[in-house]
Amino acid sequence: MSAELAVIAVDCGALPIGGGLLALLRPALNELEAGGMLAVLSSAPTVREDLPSWCRAERHEYLGVETIADGIDRHLIARGEFSVPPATDETRGRLEPRDGKLTASDVLAIAPLPEIGDPATGFAPRGAKVEPAGPAYPFTLNERTHVAPPEIAKLYDQAVANQWDATSDIPWHKVEPLPFPAARALAQVMTFLAENELSALYVPARFIPRIHPVYAEVAMFLATQLADEARHIDVFLKRARLCGVGLGISSVTTSRSLLSLMQTEDFTEAAFLLSVLGEGTFLDLLSFIERHAPDQPTAELVRRAKNDESRHVHFGLAHVRYGLMNDPGLYDRLEAAVRKRAASLHGISGVPAPVHDALTILAAGSTEPHAVARGYEAFRELLETMHTSRIRRLEHAGFTPQQAVTISELHTPNFM
Amino acid sequence: MSDNQTILLGAVAYDPKVVTIWEGIREHFQEQGVPMDFALFSNYERQVEELLKGHIDVAWNTPLAHVRVRRRTGNESLSLGMRDSDRDFHAKLIVRRDSGIKSLKDLEGKTLAVGSADSTQARILPLYFLASEGVDLSRVKLLPFDTDLGKHGDTGTSEIDVLKALHERRADAGTAGDLVWVNEQAAGHIDSNNIEVLWTTPGFDHCMFDALPSLAAEKTESFKRALFAMKWDNPHHRKLLELEGLREWLPPRESGYASLQDALLQTGRE
Repeated sequence: MSAELAVIAVDCGALPIGGGLLALLRPALNELEAGGMLAVLSSAPTVREDLPSWCRAERHEYLGVETIADGIDRHLIARGEFSVPPATDETRGRLEPRDGKLTASDVLAIAPLPEIGDPATGFAPRGAKVEPAGPAYPFTLNERTHVAPPEIAKLYDQAVANQWDATSDIPWHKVEPLPFPAARALAQVMTFLAENELSALYVPARFIPRIHPVYAEVAMFLATQLADEARHIDVFLKRARLCGVGLGISSVTTSRSLLSLMQTEDFTEAAFLLSVLGEGTFLDLLSFIERHAPDQPTAELVRRAKNDESRHVHFGLAHVRYGLMNDPGLYDRLEAAVRKRAASLHGISGVPAPVHDALTILAAGSTEPHAVARGYEAFRELLETMHTSRIRRLEHAGFTPQQAVTISELHTPNFM
Repeated sequence: MSDNQTILLGAVAYDPKVVTIWEGIREHFQEQGVPMDFALFSNYERQVEELLKGHIDVAWNTPLAHVRVRRRTGNESLSLGMRDSDRDFHAKLIVRRDSGIKSLKDLEGKTLAVGSADSTQARILPLYFLASEGVDLSRVKLLPFDTDLGKHGDTGTSEIDVLKALHERRADAGTAGDLVWVNEQAAGHIDSNNIEVLWTTPGFDHCMFDALPSLAAEKTESFKRALFAMKWDNPHHRKLLELEGLREWLPPRESGYASLQDALLQTGRE
C-alpha cells in the first residue's frame, strides 16, 4: 500500500465508527471519483475492526492499514462505484449579495435553468448532487421552452415585493353606506369579480404539480399568483358584504365560461386563455371600476388588485411569447384553443346581464335616466377598449394583426 | 404458470418484505423473457427438503441451508449466484467496555450473549472461531437468543437482542454479524461509550441460490442471465436490491463455506 497515492486525508482522532467518524469520512469520500483514494488517520483501535466492515457494507474498497506514529493508524480506502456522484463545477457557483439583497435573478445567474428536466431528479433542487436511480416523477412540464420564460425570476421578485394585506391595507373605515341601487350594483360587480378570481386561483393551481422542480421559480411565481387571487377573492367579497344587500347573482354564462377554462389541459393554452386574454381583459375592467368607484377604499382595493393582475398578464405574455419563439406551431394551437372554447360557449352572446346592468349603474353613479345613459355609453366604450387592448397584447405576443382581431373577437363575453 | 418452462424458486418468508422482493424480481425476470414464479416456505429445513425432492427448481438459501444441500447432494448441487454482501462476511465479538475483557481468553468466566442457534453469523461461526482461537467455551456462560428458529438468523432479531443485552448489562460480551454491527453504529443505535468491538472473525460466505444437478441447462442459464441483468442504477431494480441487501449479484464461489462445514461437523449438527 502506498499512502502517497491518496488524494485526501482525513484525521478522525479517536472517534469510533458509531461516534462521529462517519461524519468526517463520508463527506470526504464524496469528494472523490470512484476509485479515488482516501487516507483515514485514526487513533481508535476499534476502527481497525470496524472500518473494513463498514467499507464492505458500503462497497468501498478497504486497502489496508499501517501505523505511522505511536498509536496512529493510517487506513487507506478506495471509493466504490455505488455512491452519490461527485460535485460538478456548474453546481458550485457562489451567490453574492448586491446592495445587501439577494434576488431570484441573482440565483438564476449562477444556477441557470436547464433545457430539460430529468424526471428522475424528482424534487431535488436545481444544482443538487442527485444520487442516481431515484424513482421517476410524473412531471409533464419538463421543457424550459414550455414552462419557464427568461423573465421568470424578475417577475417572482416583483411579486414577492408587492404582496399586501386585505385585512389592514385598505382604509375600510372610510366605506360609507350607499343608496340601495348603487349598493346592489357594487355587490353584483364584486360578486362577479370574486367568482372569476376563484377560477384564476384554481386554474394555475392545477399546473403547479406538473411543473418539473428544476423550474421551481415558475411554481414559486404561480404560488404568488395564487396568493394574489386568494387576497382578491377575500377583498372583493369583503367589499360586497360591506354593501349590506347580500351577494349578487352568479350567472350560467359566467359558470360555463369558467368551466371551459378549468377544462383546458395544456399549460400554455391555459396561460394564454387565463392570463393573456382573461386577466388582460380584466385589467381594463378593473380600471373601469376604479374610475367609477363610489368611494376611496373601493378605488384602492381595485387599484391594488389591478397591479397584481398586471403581473399575471406579464407572466402569461412572457410564457406565450417564449413558447411561440421556440415553437411556431404554437400559433395555430392557441388559435384552435380559442376557437374550441368559443364553440363550447356557443349561444352565449353577451356579457352576463346582471354584470352588464351593474357596471352601467356603477358608471352612472345614480339611477337618474341621464346618468344611466352616460353609464351605458361608458360600458360600451369599455367593451371597445377591451377589444383594442386585447389586439395590442396579441400583436405584442407575436400574432399577426388579422389573427389578433379574430382571436379577440372570439374571446368569451364573460371577460374571463 | 405451472408449465415446465417456468422456474420455480423457493424463498423463506422471514419478513413481509420477502413478498415485495420476489414479486418485483419475478416481474424483472418476465421482462427478461424468463418465466419464474416463487413459493414461500416458513423455514429453511422445509425449503431444503422440497428442493431435494425436486418440488422447486431453485432455493434461495442461507449458508447453513447451502452447506446442507451440498452435503446431501454429495457436492453435486448447482450454485447459481450470490449477493455481493454474501462474500467475506465476518462476525464480531462486541464487549462492554467495563467488562474487563481485553483479550479473547478474558471471555472465560464471563457472560456471552449469542444469537439464534441456527444463525451462522451470530452463533455458529463466532463460537467456532472463538474455540479455534483457544477459548474454552465450557467456561463461558452463554446467554442465547433463540428467536425465529428455522429462519437461520435472516431476521437479524437475535443480533439486535444481543446488542440490547449488552447495553442493558445482561451480558459482558456478545456476537453479531458485521453488517448488523456497522449498520447499527451508522444508524446511531450504539452507545460507543459503553460497548465496542474487540475482535473480528475470519471471513466466510453467506447466502446462495442452490439447484439440483438435474435442473435443465436452459433454466440454469436463463436464471443466471436474468439475475445478473439487475442493476443498481436502474430505479426499479435498486428498490429490490436495497430490500434484499445487496448492490450487485455475483457469480457463486464455494471457497467461503469451509469453516461452516467444519463447524457443523465438529458440533455433530450435520
